[in-house]
Amino acid sequence: MTPASLIEVDFTLNGQPARVRCEPTRRLLSVLREDLGLTGAKPACGIGRCGACLVWMDGKPVNACLLMACRLQGRSIETIESVGQTEQSAPVREALARAGGVQCGYCGPGLVMMLTHLYRQQPRPDAREASAQLCGQLCRCTGYGGLQRAVDLLFAD
Amino acid sequence: MAEHPHAPRSPRQVRDPASLLAEARPRADADAKLSGRTRYPTDRIEAGQLHAAILGSPLPHARILSVDASAAAGLPGVHAVVTAADIPGPALFGLRHVDRPALCGDRVRCIGDPIAAVAADTPEIARAALAAIRLRLEPLQVIDDALAALAPGATALHGRSNLLHQVAHRRADAAQWAAAEAACTHVVEAVYESPRQMHVCLETEGGVAEPDGAGGLVLWWGCQNPERDRQVIAAMLGLPPGRVRVVGSPVGGSYGAKDELTVQPIAALLAWKSGRAVRLHLSRPASTDLGVKRHPMRIRMRSGCDGDGRLRFHEVDILADTGAYATHGPEVLDAAAEHAVGPYDWPALSIHARLAYTNNGIAGAFRGFGAVQVQWALEQQIDRLARACGIDPLAFRQRNLSAPDAPGPLGQQVVASDGPRLALAQIARHPLWIERACNPRCDDRHRWGLGLALVHRSDGFGRGGPNGGRLALALAPDGQIELRVSLTEMGQSLPEAIRALAARHLGCAETDVRPVIGDSALAPDTGAAAASRSTTLVHRALECEGRAWIDSLTEAAAARLRTPASSLRFGPGGWSDADGRPVLGLAQLAADLVGPLPSRVIAVPPEETPSAVPGAHWVFGACAALARVRIDTWTGALRVERLVIASALGPVISPMGLLGQMEGGALMGQGLVTTEHLDMREARYLARNLDGYQVPLLADAPQIELWAIEDLMPDDPVGPRGAGEIAVNIAAPAIVNAVSAAVGMPVDRLPIAPDDILDALERHP
Ligand code: FES
Ligand code: FES
Repeated sequence: MTPASLIEVDFTLNGQPARVRCEPTRRLLSVLREDLGLTGAKPACGIGRCGACLVWMDGKPVNACLLMACRLQGRSIETIESVGQTEQSAPVREALARAGGVQCGYCGPGLVMMLTHLYRQQPRPDAREASAQLCGQLCRCTGYGGLQRAVDLLFAD
Repeated sequence: MAEHPHAPRSPRQVRDPASLLAEARPRADADAKLSGRTRYPTDRIEAGQLHAAILGSPLPHARILSVDASAAAGLPGVHAVVTAADIPGPALFGLRHVDRPALCGDRVRCIGDPIAAVAADTPEIARAALAAIRLRLEPLQVIDDALAALAPGATALHGRSNLLHQVAHRRADAAQWAAAEAACTHVVEAVYESPRQMHVCLETEGGVAEPDGAGGLVLWWGCQNPERDRQVIAAMLGLPPGRVRVVGSPVGGSYGAKDELTVQPIAALLAWKSGRAVRLHLSRPASTDLGVKRHPMRIRMRSGCDGDGRLRFHEVDILADTGAYATHGPEVLDAAAEHAVGPYDWPALSIHARLAYTNNGIAGAFRGFGAVQVQWALEQQIDRLARACGIDPLAFRQRNLSAPDAPGPLGQQVVASDGPRLALAQIARHPLWIERACNPRCDDRHRWGLGLALVHRSDGFGRGGPNGGRLALALAPDGQIELRVSLTEMGQSLPEAIRALAARHLGCAETDVRPVIGDSALAPDTGAAAASRSTTLVHRALECEGRAWIDSLTEAAAARLRTPASSLRFGPGGWSDADGRPVLGLAQLAADLVGPLPSRVIAVPPEETPSAVPGAHWVFGACAALARVRIDTWTGALRVERLVIASALGPVISPMGLLGQMEGGALMGQGLVTTEHLDMREARYLARNLDGYQVPLLADAPQIELWAIEDLMPDDPVGPRGAGEIAVNIAAPAIVNAVSAAVGMPVDRLPIAPDDILDALERHP
């Protein structure tokens, strides 16, 4: 690996300045998990089909397995490590827990990131719209019964 | 009038969907999981770990002529390169058949079969090292079909024949058989093809292997049976089992996929050779190559009934493709043969089942285990016979149920059960069934279909399997009652079940109980968290010896209080006196006791059928279900709208756990019917990730309604049946029957693609 092929990017990570040196095509998911020790986002497909790696870039949901490091310069990234601790995700986590939306839990962080994003939108989507927005979140354990109940709780009109 | 113990009865203790939901309590680990704090074995990423990479076979079948890894080993940053020659102990592992190499030495038998592996400072260096390994392979005949595998002259993958296992069972001699056939007014015959379903655990196989600094090795690796993993790995490394520790929990999904070892022996070997911590986490495509799948089966059934709708004979011929190595294949075939009978009474029965080695990947354990493949076929047969007789499918099934105290499917002695009868009775009173004539049938674009199915399924392993297990009860220094099992938590709410069962049997509060799970160093050998057995096993252990252990604690409490034990009552938190005043807490007792704190290992003996039928089961649970589907006649799209399940599994231990297992299993069963088949051509996968292989999403999920029947037979010796699998078993046949009803055609191949539906509609407009 020649150092010349590496780039240096500065971005904001969970509100703090961050800098990484890596290949331009290195995916944000690897940067987070392996370079920065944030393992809340999970790798499950690597091709944008499951949502387990979901994070926010400038407040919008993105699949971290697809996002390349070269696109990070100056951006703001938020991950479950910060969003999962805050009040804004508390209703979402509570609804999922109460409704039975978590079993093995591997899909959980991605789900919370997506649902919290939907929950804080103004105007808030209704349950139908919210369900439609969850088409990229895969859960193999629950059969989505708990997720649907949580959505109905959160997005009741 | 005294009721005959076996008289047909209606379910009395039934949890309706609303009460299950009302009583469902959040899991204790929910928030940690949801906020990303739970650390799975694949999250153990630390500086200084080496990165592992595996060189898999590029050919599905070949002789290995040579592997030259010298250039790879010499690359800077490479710390270990391993091939079969580096394995100190036995290189093969397996359950009944020890045939799977950790690394292949002389031959590869499926695509991706591991040949060599590397541990290096970075993944890039590891990959470069793999590219530097010089491999010479001589291609062998590729066996990509189970029938071809059994043809004379086919190259044998192992030994002399590709026939790994077979089961033959016959009830009725030639004369009885002829009479049974002669009595039949209706006979249906079909060949059913069940697909290669993939587990798709969200967490792919992976973890960390590291030297423990004291001459041993620790493995952090999601699995279903840490104790077995440690035995295999210790043997492979030539170490005593006590020098290897496996921490197998929490698991990011398994469903059978992580029951048998896959690549953890390779990680262990690399860590052993390099003396460093080694991390390995398979990519989804690599997981597809190396993981096991559900056994594809070709099932021929010929079944007949008389003019009154009484079943007379059932002839079943099963051919299953186990792929390159045995793993759980023989047990899967045993389960298929046994469940092909169903909960029905067949005066004449003939079952023949064969399991063939091929080069088609590896098939193994998968929730629903061998049974679901034959159950959808059997339930199609039953529906077709009912239709031929003009009897409604529910009445037809009721008429043909075996008696509650009848022998089991293979004639073996079983625990008496009227679960199938109760489940059907519950469905019979559901509005979706009662008002079936008023259900929508079609509009100008859509057609609806209603499907009924009934299954029973076994609990635990069959006769001769590893059915026993040990667990421990211990008073911890902080006063918590620890229940220690080597079973792992994979999402099935094991800690919740343990807390609820301990509270029920010991008389303490759930908060007094601390489950200790998944670590081979902290618990005795409990066996595998598999075969829907965990809850039953814990229940049995506590039922046998839980009270006695609490009594021994009460003795200690009495000695401490200088009062007779008979004056003390044990309850939540500790002991109270005859007037109900608390006198001693668990924590205080733990603090006051001198010497080692009380603990007890409970050995649960294997409970098996006394009948000498290898692989046959002793305990069965049952479910009936109704599915409603909608077919789009323009596009062939299939939508499962509703699924009503009546389960007869005994007392509900954890409402949330039961609901979750049933909903999750049901959607997995739906996937088998609607989209999930991992196709292969010439023994190569046509899809290796979630773009080509589609599992159900939220939009595909039906409205699922669960009615949990708790009644058991009087004097039932077993208690709660496992709920981990049966929803897969029931959902698939119910949905198949609904589709069949909607298109007015038998279904003989899964998954049912939109094109299949359009074809059927063209032939039967
Ligand atoms: S890992 Fe990113 S979407 Fe699946
Ligand atoms: S809880 Fe296991 S994948 Fe969703």
